[in-house]
Amino acid sequence: MSNNAIGRKTSGVDKALRVALYTVLLVAAAFYLIPFIVMLITSLKDVEEIRTGNLLSLPAALNFDSWAKAWSSACTGSSCGGISPYFMNSFQIVLPAVAISTLVGAINGYVISLWKFRGSDLFFAAMLVGCFIPFQVILLPMAQTLGWLGIANTASGLVFVHVVYGVAFTTLFFRNFYQSIPSELVKAARLDGAGFFTIFYRIILPVSTPIIVVTVIWQFTQIWNDFLFGVAFSGFDTQPVTVALNNLVNTSFGGKEYNVDMAAAIIAALPTLAVYVFAGKYFVRGLTAGAVKG
Amino acid sequence: MANLVIDNVKKRYGNTEILKGINISIKTGEFLILVGPSGCGKSTLMNSIAGLEDVTEGRILIADKDVTYTSPKDRDIAMVFQSYALYPNMTVEQNISFGLEMRKVPKAERDVEVQRVAELLQISHLLDRKPAQLSGGQRQRVAMGRALARRPQLYLFDEPLSNLDAKLRVEMRTEIKKLHKKLGTTIVYVTHDQIEAMTLADRIAVMKDGQVQQLGTPQEIYDNPANLFVAGFMGSPAMNFIPAKVIEQNGTPMLELATSTTVALPFPKPESLKDHVGKTILLGLRPEMITEPQPHKEGQPFVTTTDVEVEVTEPMGADTMILTRVNNAEINCRSNPMYPAAAGSIIKMMFDTSKAVVFDKESGKRLDA
Repeated sequence: MSNNAIGRKTSGVDKALRVALYTVLLVAAAFYLIPFIVMLITSLKDVEEIRTGNLLSLPAALNFDSWAKAWSSACTGSSCGGISPYFMNSFQIVLPAVAISTLVGAINGYVISLWKFRGSDLFFAAMLVGCFIPFQVILLPMAQTLGWLGIANTASGLVFVHVVYGVAFTTLFFRNFYQSIPSELVKAARLDGAGFFTIFYRIILPVSTPIIVVTVIWQFTQIWNDFLFGVAFSGFDTQPVTVALNNLVNTSFGGKEYNVDMAAAIIAALPTLAVYVFAGKYFVRGLTAGAVKG
Repeated sequence: MANLVIDNVKKRYGNTEILKGINISIKTGEFLILVGPSGCGKSTLMNSIAGLEDVTEGRILIADKDVTYTSPKDRDIAMVFQSYALYPNMTVEQNISFGLEMRKVPKAERDVEVQRVAELLQISHLLDRKPAQLSGGQRQRVAMGRALARRPQLYLFDEPLSNLDAKLRVEMRTEIKKLHKKLGTTIVYVTHDQIEAMTLADRIAVMKDGQVQQLGTPQEIYDNPANLFVAGFMGSPAMNFIPAKVIEQNGTPMLELATSTTVALPFPKPESLKDHVGKTILLGLRPEMITEPQPHKEGQPFVTTTDVEVEVTEPMGADTMILTRVNNAEINCRSNPMYPAAAGSIIKMMFDTSKAVVFDKESGKRLDA
């Protein structure tokens, strides 16, 4: 590598182009970062400072009062306990929904790719349609279904909705990943005497880590950020944090507390941010893994 | 160990018939090779024996027991796959013992068995590795080890050597043959490589279009092919097919051969040509039966020496292949490398028709069988 570096001469034009490239990239990065920076700065100011200063001016002192208020005492609608209970609600919905939809997607993908049956391709095509159905379309039928099942306005109801809606995507992910696994692997295991679930558990799942990471990130982000299902199907005390955030911002006694709004918004976004920071590189790797191998 | 009977097995996908009534039966300890071009149904037949695919009609018996509708795991067979199909997440040791574990063999016995197989295949030093850390040849051995560990009644090999490079392939071929001699196992082996078929098999089933064209020992198939397809498929370089007119000389049918001169070749079974006098048939002659004039063969009954024009020569070391043209067909001759044969020159070649076979030009049927 060092040999190459010595051998290559960089011309003036190359250098200028490189500078231009980095400038463009930096501007683009700043453009996307500014909203978050504004949120962060604003959340650390007090109301007075916000009113007098401009959007980008830095806070005079670090002031976490608004974070504390957003977490535990801000009013969302008629209750004034901050967004913390709803934050927990979100976890109660997201964790089981992600786990179940990922597992079901894995089994679906396993069957569609490696245990082909008559009509399995058709089944998969039908499943794919699920990826293209807009949220709004299923609101009314789903409300009815939840009513019949007796889980309307409950956390289980929301879990159910997210699982049903998410399975189309998770199936697609796992199916595509398992396409690259040779079917001879399953044949060999069958001859060795392993059954359907043994093969899945002992041979297929252990090689599925990349796609499990992708699916978990995808589902976690989707479900955590969901607002529409949350607002439509949750009860008063099962609202997810996104709905609570909306209520918090729309509830005002006296002046608008932008700092509290901003703090609440950042708190609500933290889990997905954390997931992406910790598992992001697997996400990119997992998405491209199948594509390169073909 | 067990015998295997395939009784009139048919397989249809919708209206397409993949297997059109296969009948094969092999004895305990026999090495059967299924050979044929791609799409001939050999892999389908293999999968049917394994139980990985259902048959539409017919029966399969292993050890005199009807297993046509038995699930793969209860047939007591082991299979070596073309891609090896090693479990990527398990070590070599776990790969080999997985089948035993599934059959609830106690751990202690499993370990003993893994050791035995590893020693047999000389892979003891690889037991802790994952398949990804192995070379192609090592993976191949592990795949065989996995099959051997269970000591099944029947072994199936599905093109096990086709992913190896040429040198390793020859080595492993010998190894498999030695293993078979040592263990006396019943083996069904699929390949499209006719050299593998010739070298390994006790018996070969040559398949085409879902039918067994011929079932016999390698030598039978080589010397006495049932039809034009078998004759052309087995042997490398392939058998020469020379369109030749049947003429009658002194009441004996002979075959006319035109090079720079025209000669009449005698045929060992002239009576089979009686009905074809005046017609053109295909004469099948292996390259090694067309050689430089060999003094010790001179004067033998079915030997004819004539002039041919050399088109191309291909030195192969031990022999030189001479490409020439007779009766307007390109033919390969196998000659001694010392024999002078420059391209474009006219040389003498000796045609030995003692093992010649003749086929119908249209149907490809053997005429002298």
